[in-house]
Amino acid sequence: MESNVNKEELVVNPEYEDQTPVKLDKKDLNKMAWRSLLLQASFNYERMQAGGWLYSMAPALEKIHKKKEDLSKSMKMHLEFFNTHPFLVTFVMGIVAAMEGNKNDTETIRGIKVATMGPLGGIGDALFWLTLLPISAGIGASLAIDGSVAGPIIFLIMFNIVHFGLRFGLMHYGYRTGVNSIGILKESTKLVSRAASILGLTVVGALIASYINLSLDVVIKAGEAEVNLQEGVLDQIMPKMLPLGYAFLMYYLLKKGWSPLALIGITVVFGVAGQYLGLF
Amino acid sequence: MLDALLLALWAGIAGIDLFNGLTHIHRPLVSGLVVGLILGDVQTGLITGGMLELVWMGMAPLAGAQPPNVVVGGIIGASFAILANQEPSVAVGIAVPFAVAAQAGITLLFTAFSPVMHKADEYAEKANLKGIDKINYLGLAILFVSYFIVVFLPIYFGADTAESVVNMLPQTFIDGLSTAGGMMPAIGFALLLKIMFKTQYVAFLIIGFVLVAYLELPILAVALIGAAIAMYDFYNGKNKGNTPPPSEEVYTDGI
Repeated sequence: MESNVNKEELVVNPEYEDQTPVKLDKKDLNKMAWRSLLLQASFNYERMQAGGWLYSMAPALEKIHKKKEDLSKSMKMHLEFFNTHPFLVTFVMGIVAAMEGNKNDTETIRGIKVATMGPLGGIGDALFWLTLLPISAGIGASLAIDGSVAGPIIFLIMFNIVHFGLRFGLMHYGYRTGVNSIGILKESTKLVSRAASILGLTVVGALIASYINLSLDVVIKAGEAEVNLQEGVLDQIMPKMLPLGYAFLMYYLLKKGWSPLALIGITVVFGVAGQYLGLF
Repeated sequence: MLDALLLALWAGIAGIDLFNGLTHIHRPLVSGLVVGLILGDVQTGLITGGMLELVWMGMAPLAGAQPPNVVVGGIIGASFAILANQEPSVAVGIAVPFAVAAQAGITLLFTAFSPVMHKADEYAEKANLKGIDKINYLGLAILFVSYFIVVFLPIYFGADTAESVVNMLPQTFIDGLSTAGGMMPAIGFALLLKIMFKTQYVAFLIIGFVLVAYLELPILAVALIGAAIAMYDFYNGKNKGNTPPPSEEVYTDGI
């Protein structure tokens, strides 16, 4: 966690001068949700999403802070390092917008930002990269491989219904419940991620059996009899045994700290060498 | 020339979508269709896109990980399959080096953009929200141009040479790349497993595998079964007072 608090800022009063509460309406929140699509427009390794975060918060901050000093103070705080899941960020935005409207001091708002950005990253990964994307893309890809235009279309529709539903829904939800919603989320976080794990792993098991193509093309001649190693031996033990084995070999190497790139390299070498040896 | 420009234009749009917008039009699955439309071979585009999608499925940008660039991989892979008349699975092997190179470039871009944040600090000092907008639009423009160039060059200079390069390669080598391409999804799934794998949930991995390997059910059917189990578990947990026991005997037995 990098902070940009310099000596000068430590003596700055975190309280806003103008303490009149400001309410945001649905239009403001929707504007912010649209803007949140550009969360990573100015992404960089120093502050990550901070620039895009401030860009998304702008409509709210403009409406809330009428005094120039207050707006400047708020902007500086929002330019500090920020990084969370780009799909769920609107939830934090909603909460923070409510707090800004309440004229909570900048220290408290910073605390909430930091407290929510980490956990949301994990939940978002489980929901999107590990559940929604594999399922929708898996269905889409299986259609596309059969040459159907419906593949990409179904994928985009499925993915974006959930994506935009959550993006806008969480913005309003976050704002409505303000600070209290953090507690609620914490309560069912375990259940949500557990359900996502169950669904995700079921699908991954299915994907391993469906989409890894690896079978031997070796015929062993024993006198008069010919034994096809793949059909005659391996498939008798268990169908899709090699794909399963290879997936777990890759998993094991990843756990050992190998990079995905190294594994791609190994796979290419394995495939080419196997062809030259006449295994496939 | 026009094809290369159109593909590069698509790369610019998709490149922005990878990080901003996130409508996922940048996935190989969709890029395959678009590339197929541009180059006039929708079938090959779709099939290659579908295969590339599976390879990249597990390569999510999780917690700072930098997978090979999915935008460049998808577009170059699909273009190559059509332009050089190659098997889709060979295109996978060809696309990955480009994607790796592109990702390295993007990493440099994120490093180079860091100093711009100090300009943003100045705008904050002056309470200038318009200035912040400008910085973000600048970032988008840079992303667009970068992707445009990265895809334009290999396609413009490589479309004709690609075929001759491939023709120089021995058939066994091409078949090897094809075999490797067929195995690549294993890496994606392994990456998913690395994050999701918990011993107490192994049961569901086995269920998913068996439903396809032995019963040959389609993925959607398996996903629905998984959803049913997940829903049952979720509402069970809710009724139990919101905290599922950390490890239930049911899930740890028999593994």
